[in-house]
Amino acid sequence: MSPTARIERDNAWPEISFEERIGTAEFRIHEKAHITVNGDSCRGCTTRECVVACPANLFVPTSDGGILFNYENCFECGTCYLVCNKEGAISWTYPEGGYGIVFHRT
Amino acid sequence: MTAPAHDFDADIIVVGAGPAGSCAAIAAARAGKSVVLVERGPFPGSKNMYGGVVYPRILDELIPSWWETMPVQRWVVKRSTMLLSDTGALNVDFRANAWGAPPYNGATAYRPDFDNWLANHAVEAGARLVCSTTVTGLLRDSTGRIQGVSTDRPDGDLRAPIVIACDGVNSFLAKESGLYPHTDASNFTLGVKETLALPKHVIDERFGVRDNQGVDIEILGGTSGVNGGGFIYTNLDTVALGVVLKLPKLAAQQKRPEQIIAELKRHPAVAPLIEGAEVKEYSAHVIPEAGLEMMPTMVADGMLVAGDAAALCLAAGIWLEGVNFAMASGMYAGQAAAEAITKNDVSSRGLSGYTDRLEKTFVLRDHKKLRKVPHLVLSDRVQHKYPAFVAGVVERVFRVDNPHPKPGVRRIVREERKKAGIGLLDLLRDGWTGMRGFG
Amino acid sequence: MTITVCIKWVLPNRDGDERFAGISLADQAALETGLRVAEALNESCTVITVGPAAAETSLRDALACGAHDVLRVDAPADTDSAETARALATYCEHSRLVVCGDYSSDRGSGSVPALVAARLGRGQALGLIDVQIVGETLSVVRRLDGGRRERLSVTGPAVLSVEGSVARLRRASLRATLSANDAIIDVVTNDASGAIRRTPEAAPLRPYRPRARVVPSPTGSSALDRVRQITDTSSSKGHGETVVLEPGDAANRILESLHTWGYVQES
Ligand SMILES: Cc1cc2nc3c(=O)[nH]c(=O)nc-3n(C[C@H](O)[C@H](O)[C@H](O)COP(=O)(O)OP(=O)(O)OC[C@H]3O[C@@H](n4cnc5c(N)ncnc54)[C@H](O)[C@@H]3O)c2cc1C
Ligand code: SF4
Ligand code: SF4
Repeated sequence: MSPTARIERDNAWPEISFEERIGTAEFRIHEKAHITVNGDSCRGCTTRECVVACPANLFVPTSDGGILFNYENCFECGTCYLVCNKEGAISWTYPEGGYGIVFHRT
Repeated sequence: MTAPAHDFDADIIVVGAGPAGSCAAIAAARAGKSVVLVERGPFPGSKNMYGGVVYPRILDELIPSWWETMPVQRWVVKRSTMLLSDTGALNVDFRANAWGAPPYNGATAYRPDFDNWLANHAVEAGARLVCSTTVTGLLRDSTGRIQGVSTDRPDGDLRAPIVIACDGVNSFLAKESGLYPHTDASNFTLGVKETLALPKHVIDERFGVRDNQGVDIEILGGTSGVNGGGFIYTNLDTVALGVVLKLPKLAAQQKRPEQIIAELKRHPAVAPLIEGAEVKEYSAHVIPEAGLEMMPTMVADGMLVAGDAAALCLAAGIWLEGVNFAMASGMYAGQAAAEAITKNDVSSRGLSGYTDRLEKTFVLRDHKKLRKVPHLVLSDRVQHKYPAFVAGVVERVFRVDNPHPKPGVRRIVREERKKAGIGLLDLLRDGWTGMRGFG
Repeated sequence: MTITVCIKWVLPNRDGDERFAGISLADQAALETGLRVAEALNESCTVITVGPAAAETSLRDALACGAHDVLRVDAPADTDSAETARALATYCEHSRLVVCGDYSSDRGSGSVPALVAARLGRGQALGLIDVQIVGETLSVVRRLDGGRRERLSVTGPAVLSVEGSVARLRRASLRATLSANDAIIDVVTNDASGAIRRTPEAAPLRPYRPRARVVPSPTGSSALDRVRQITDTSSSKGHGETVVLEPGDAANRILESLHTWGYVQES
C-alpha cells in the first residue's frame, strides 16, 4: 500500500464491448415497448441524466438534439424515471407478464 | 383452508413473489387463509438481482432445517470491509468458521434459485402462484375501499379484501395507494453487478476458503468519485462483483456504471482476486437506500406494504441487507393479514398487528438505530475524504522509514486529516453519528 | 372428432434447467392454430405431449389458453422422433386434424409430423407459413425450396405442421390460468411397444471441408492449352446429377455422395 507504487490506470475500458456485456443477459422481448420517451421533452434537456445512468445504455443522444430510446434490452430497474427531472419525458411501466429481463445467476 | 367470502377470489392477494411476497404467502396460507401470489416474471426470482448474501436467520421460524434444501452457493465464513483509496486498501476481516455449520449465519445464493425455492414453499403451504402476470393497479369499490388488483391478463381482475404489496423497490401499488410519496432520486442507489466465472479451486485459493465456505466483502470507496460502495461475494464457481451508486451523483458525474465497475476491477486490491475471470452475466437493479428516512406508511385499509416496497432495506457501508428484512416484514404482514381476516376487520386498525410486530423486532429496531447511517456513509466527506485519510494514517504507521524515528500516531492523524481536508469538528460529529448508528 | 395439437416440451441444452424449459414458437403457433380451427369448426381441441412429468407445465399453459383436453404420454425427454410419432399417432387416430409445430426448440428436424401422417395414413401439409380458415376448409401456404410457395386446400383428415410465424399464441386469462394450475392432467404410459427408445447421440457436426482432389498433369501441347486445362471452369464439374431410385437405395446414394464430397466423415 505504498503511495509510491502508483498504479498505472489504463483507460482502455470497457474490457468487453458493451454489446458483449449486454449479450450476457437474457431478454424476452415483447413487440410492444414498455417504456417510451417523449422526444420533445428531451430536446430541451441539457443535463441528460438518463444517458449516463441507464445501466443498459438505452438512451442515445441524436445529432439533432433528441434522444433515441430502445426498450429491448432493459433491466426494468427504474433508474431512468428516477433520475429524469423532466415531468412527462419518460412513461414507464413493466413489460407484459412473462416478458423482459430474465436473470439466471444473479 | 377457509373459503373466501363470496365475490372474492381469495382472502389475501400477495403481489410479487420475491422474498417478502413468498414469506407473506407462506405465513397467511399456513394460518389457513386462501392466498393468491402474483408474480410478473416467468418464474419467481427471474426478475430479481442483488449482491449475493442471504442472512437467513428469520427462516428458522418459517422453514425448519431450511439449510437442508435451500439452494446455497457457499456459506459465508468470512466478512471483510475494504476501505479503498486510489492506490491503497485497508482491509478489516472477520472470520468465523462456526458460520460454516448449522444453523449458519449467511449464504451466497442466486436469486432466481433462492426466490424460486421460497415460492415453492408458499405453494406447498397452499398458496396459489400465478406467474407471467403483471399487476397493473388496485381495484376499489364505490367507497374507495381496496377490493383486489387488476392484472394485464384478459379477464384479469382478482378480488380479495386484503392486498399485500411486496412488489419491490419501484412499488407502483404503494405509490398508487398513496402510501409512498417519495420518488426522489436521492433516496435511491443503482446497483450493477457482474457475475464472473472462475474455476472453483481458483476462488478457494484467492479468497482463502475451501469446500463450500464463502466470503463476503463490502467496499467503501473505489467507486470513481460517485458516492456509493462496492461488493464482492463468492459463489461456487463465480464471483459476484458490483457497485452501488447514488443516483443523483451518478447522473451528475458523467461516468457510466460499467465504467465504474471496470475501474473497481482494476484497483490493485481487487484485480488479483478476479484476474482472468469471464463475465457470465451483467445485471442491474435499484435499491431503496435512505432507510427510515424514506419509509412509507405501511398499513392502509385493506392493504399492507412489505420489503423493498416499504423501503425496508439496509444499504449502508458495511451492510447490504434487504432479503432478511423483506422475509421478516413479509412474514409479519402475512400473519397480520390472516389475523385481520379471522377478526373480520381489514381496516388499518384491524391490520395494525403488522406494525406492532415490525416495531418489536429487528426490522424497525435496526432501521431506527441506523437511521442516519446511510446518509452518513454516502456523504461526500465519508466517501471522498475518509478512505484516503484512513489509508494514509495506516500507511504511515506501518511505514519503516529508518533511520528516522517513527512519528507519533497523533501527529500522523493530525497531518493526514489536514491533507485530506477534513475539519476536526466534522470528524468528531461523524464519529458521534457513526458510533450512535453502528454501536 | 377433434382437433389435436402435438407439442414438445424442451429442456434448454445448456444446463437442463426446468425453469427455462418450454415449447417452441412453432409449437405455440400450432396450439393457436388448433384452437382457432376448433373454434371455427365447433370442435374440441386436445393437446398431447410425449414427455416427462415436468412437461405438464406446458399442458397447463395450453389448458389456460383454452384447450378442452390435455394428455401426457409418459416418456423421457429424449425420446426419439419415431417413438414420439408412434405414441402420438396412437392418440390422434380419431381426430379430424392434427397440428404440430414445424420444429421443436431443440433444433428438431421436423420429422415427427411426417411420421405421424405416415402412421395414420393421412395427407400431410408440412412447414406451413400461413393457415386461413375458409368455411369448412383450410387454405394453407407451404414453403418450397428456392423461395417458392405452394397454396393447398385441406379438407379431409390431415396432419399439418406450422412455422412459428403462422399465429401468435393468445394470452391466457387470469381465471383460466388459476384453474389450470389446479387441473388434474391425464397421463398414459407408453407401453404399446414395450421399451421407449432414446435419441441416439448425434454425430458431431463439422464445417464442410473439400477433400484433396488429384489432378492429372495437363497434357496440351502449348502452354496456353495446359493452363486452360487446369483452370477451365466452362465445363461443369459440379455435383448435379438426377437419379431415380427406391427410397432405401436413394438414402444410400445420398450418404455415398455426401461422403465422396467430403461432408461426412468415414465412420
Ligand atoms: C445491487 C444490490 C445488492 C444487494 N445486495 C444484497 C445482499 O447482499 N443481501 C441482502 O440481503 N440484500 C441485498 N440487496 C437488497 C435485496 O435485494 C432487497 O432488499 C430484496 O430483494 C427485497 O425483497 P422484496 O421481496 O421486497 O422485493 P424484490 O426482491 O424486488 O421482489 C419483488 C417481486 O415483485 C415482483 N413484481 C414487481 N412488480 C410487480 C407487479 N406489478 N406485478 C407482479 N409482480 C411484480 C417482481 O418481479 C419481484 O419478483 C441488494 C439489492 C441490490 C439492488
Ligand atoms: S429522458 Fe429525461 S433526462 Fe433523459 S434526455 Fe429526456 S428529459 Fe433529459
Ligand atoms: S429501467 Fe433501467 S435499464 Fe431500463 S431504460 Fe430505464 S434505466 Fe435503462
